[in-house]
Amino acid sequence: MALAVPATLWLMAAFAAPMAIVLLLAVQESPDPFAPLSFVPSFAQFRALLFDAYYLGVVARTILLGLGVTLAAAVLGYPLALWLARLPAQARPYAFAIVLIPLLTNVVVRSLGIVLLLAPDGIVNAVLGPIGLGNPRGWLFTHFAVGLALTQVFLPFMVLALYDSLLQADKRLDEAAASLGASRARAFFAVTLPLSLPGLRAGATIVFLLASTAYVSATILGGKKVWVAGMIVWQEALTNLNAPTAAAMATIMLVWGVAFAALAERAVRTAAPWLRGAAARPPVFELPPALARAAVVALDLLGGVAAKLLLAAAILLLIFPLTLVVVQSFNDVPQASVAGFRAFTWKWYAAALESTTYLRDARNSFDIAFVSMLCALAMALPAAFALARAEFPGKPAVSAFWMLPLALPHVAIAVGMLRLLQIFIAIPPFWGLVMVHVVLILPFCIALLRTSVLQLDRTLEQAAASLGASPARVFVTTILPNLAPGLAVAGILAFLISFGEVTVTSFLTTARLQTLPVRIYAEASFSLEPTVHAVSTLLILGTVALLALVNRFVKLDRVWAR
Amino acid sequence: MISRRRLLAATAGASLASPALFGLNAVAQIRRGDELVVGIWGGAQERITRQHIVRPLEERYGVKINYVLGGTPERRARAYQERGRPSFDLVYLNIFESRQAVRDGVTQAPNIERVPNARHLHDAARLGGYGVAFNPVTVVYDKRKGRVESWKDLWKPEWKGRIAWPSYPGAQGTAALLMSAKLWGGSERNIDPGFQKIRELKPFAAIQGSQDQLYTMFDQGVADISVEFGSFTRSYAESRNPNIEIANPMEGQAIATNVACPTVGTRNQALVEAFVDLHLSEPCQMAYAREIYYSPTVRNLTIPADLAPKLVLGADVGKLVDFDWDHVISQQAAWTTRFNREIAG
Repeated sequence: MALAVPATLWLMAAFAAPMAIVLLLAVQESPDPFAPLSFVPSFAQFRALLFDAYYLGVVARTILLGLGVTLAAAVLGYPLALWLARLPAQARPYAFAIVLIPLLTNVVVRSLGIVLLLAPDGIVNAVLGPIGLGNPRGWLFTHFAVGLALTQVFLPFMVLALYDSLLQADKRLDEAAASLGASRARAFFAVTLPLSLPGLRAGATIVFLLASTAYVSATILGGKKVWVAGMIVWQEALTNLNAPTAAAMATIMLVWGVAFAALAERAVRTAAPWLRGAAARPPVFELPPALARAAVVALDLLGGVAAKLLLAAAILLLIFPLTLVVVQSFNDVPQASVAGFRAFTWKWYAAALESTTYLRDARNSFDIAFVSMLCALAMALPAAFALARAEFPGKPAVSAFWMLPLALPHVAIAVGMLRLLQIFIAIPPFWGLVMVHVVLILPFCIALLRTSVLQLDRTLEQAAASLGASPARVFVTTILPNLAPGLAVAGILAFLISFGEVTVTSFLTTARLQTLPVRIYAEASFSLEPTVHAVSTLLILGTVALLALVNRFVKLDRVWAR
Repeated sequence: MISRRRLLAATAGASLASPALFGLNAVAQIRRGDELVVGIWGGAQERITRQHIVRPLEERYGVKINYVLGGTPERRARAYQERGRPSFDLVYLNIFESRQAVRDGVTQAPNIERVPNARHLHDAARLGGYGVAFNPVTVVYDKRKGRVESWKDLWKPEWKGRIAWPSYPGAQGTAALLMSAKLWGGSERNIDPGFQKIRELKPFAAIQGSQDQLYTMFDQGVADISVEFGSFTRSYAESRNPNIEIANPMEGQAIATNVACPTVGTRNQALVEAFVDLHLSEPCQMAYAREIYYSPTVRNLTIPADLAPKLVLGADVGKLVDFDWDHVISQQAAWTTRFNREIAG
């Protein structure tokens, strides 16, 4: 119970207030930005949204898009996570870097990559056209384009959630399956997949919540023909200065986000009863033996090829923006959005490195991200133990509360924070931003670490304790080394999310403290210059170096892994 | 270089005028160590203003000028939230946002007496603050596919299915909607003809949400024509895509302005005005014109012959099509809803 306190207190202090304001705004009658807040609830905003076929359509399509992206991320994520988990340890930092490339790349650049793929004379049509599957009008400005962009950027979350889960699984089980005659496809579906369900739940929850609240990719690749709920929040809050309607839409999104998390939780509890110590139940239905055998044969035949194809597709999707970024960072054109290569130049690197402001902003981002990551990990670890091991009254409510910052669109958090600006400005800018960033990354850390803790082998702890180790010693010598990959993965993600955060931060930066993404965003909102690509390239190089360094000291793998 | 006399005039003017100002919580003089917070766009605009405004002011007065970079929506949302007790002294807004902000008591109306260079401003740049650059919106198109001399040419058959219509709201989308209404017998107060005629143009090749997006569409052959800022499109055409032409339609280009807006309640009134004065000075206006093809808002410049055809100057400024922005803003939410359902969907 006490383990749940730090995370809860932090979120109470830094998140409950803006969220309460969003909820309060959602029940305001008047959209006037200067009207005093009324405490008499009005459901006018909800009525306007929920009794309107247009908005309902947007909501339905947003949820479907979120589900589609989650499914795609899972299908592409499994082969990738398996590949990552089976790589030799020395190669792993570079493989990690591949997975993380989309998170290190500016959204405009990533989207440009998707445009090049899907345009009428783009790469997808070049491949599909000859076999008669091309689309002469191109694939742009469709839900497919938006879904592809979202899959690309959220795939890393799924892969990393699965990665730790797969590493935790006892490899002897695979060997046992093999020795009992199961083919690789059969072993995957009968052993690997069920055992990784907690990781799948964490990944699916994160990806769904991110995909269904995202709006930037939809704005760029949907070409305003595709409307998602997050765009409505943004448009109402910022363009129309109508905070109540924006807040009402955000609240609707919050509700479905929480519902999805609860359903995923329930589904995994049912599908993986051994996690709570119950016996596995017999399957609800079984295929007739002949059909089942045929299915196994088919899976064995196709499974290997399909897995390889999916792996190749996933890797290509992830690294495609990298090639673009690197090419563009040497391109002598005045605007970064321009696709063709014109002439080679080093000048964007010179501009990035000469300008002290880039370096200073990068330093600010680094400091904030590093401190936020440490704070978040320090609170997420006890919280993960509370979720995985303790039973206490109100646990489902607490666990849902911890996920709320993920389910509430970031624009809405920003709107809530704006109302608290006077209080926020009184806090030293560095700690103010750390406070907010921890709120944004804590749910990721908790979701990922919870899986890691859930899959710890408790017999090891019992063995250590029975040999006379004190609880502290058990924690340091047994639990921490076992959690090292989970902590590393959560830490890397937390760091990168904080480092790249722009939606909320752009409302809160002051003249004294500006972060790198906010600067890039400010430049992009005017006209993007290729300096951004030079910065991205340097960031990717820096990340590879950092990962190699991390791998040297904290193995991204368990020491005894075979 | 900046004229010291002009700066002195700015401060002298400010200190003389200030006792007459009622209700402005302003410091009449610039003091060493004063700090100014300016909310502005990044990129070239940041570079130019730092060179031609920030550096001279800091050297001259020993003040510190801090920039908060960002997009207009964030800056505006924050200025509204901080009405009366601003953390910004000066925010840069677009044409209709600036006029709305003055009406809402968030930013100050211009005061020509206190900013010496402001007396050279075109009339259209004296509303909602101090217009620092005209950045008009016009039809841009691939000249291999047709020719555009009027906004009505958008409805010619050769562009059917090849139009990237600009999304509403936004400077380009607003201009496109208002011009459509005006062309076809309506106006900002009778918007229906605009919506009707835009619907006739469907299906669109795309709806474009930003200039970067549009240029990618041109590069990729997704669309051949759109409505966009002439300035950026000229840079794009010159550097990347010589097939793109910037039309100068007979009805005029649609006005769009970048506006410097001192906040109501700034504690650095004199310094803000000195800042704006330098923004309207010749070196800064010329740098805007030369580097990013933003047309000057002041009338006292001599533009070299090679640059003049690329800008909107003299009589063309008078031809810029202006609208009743108060009304446009009051309808924005309703038109947005209508646009999303009838045009974009």
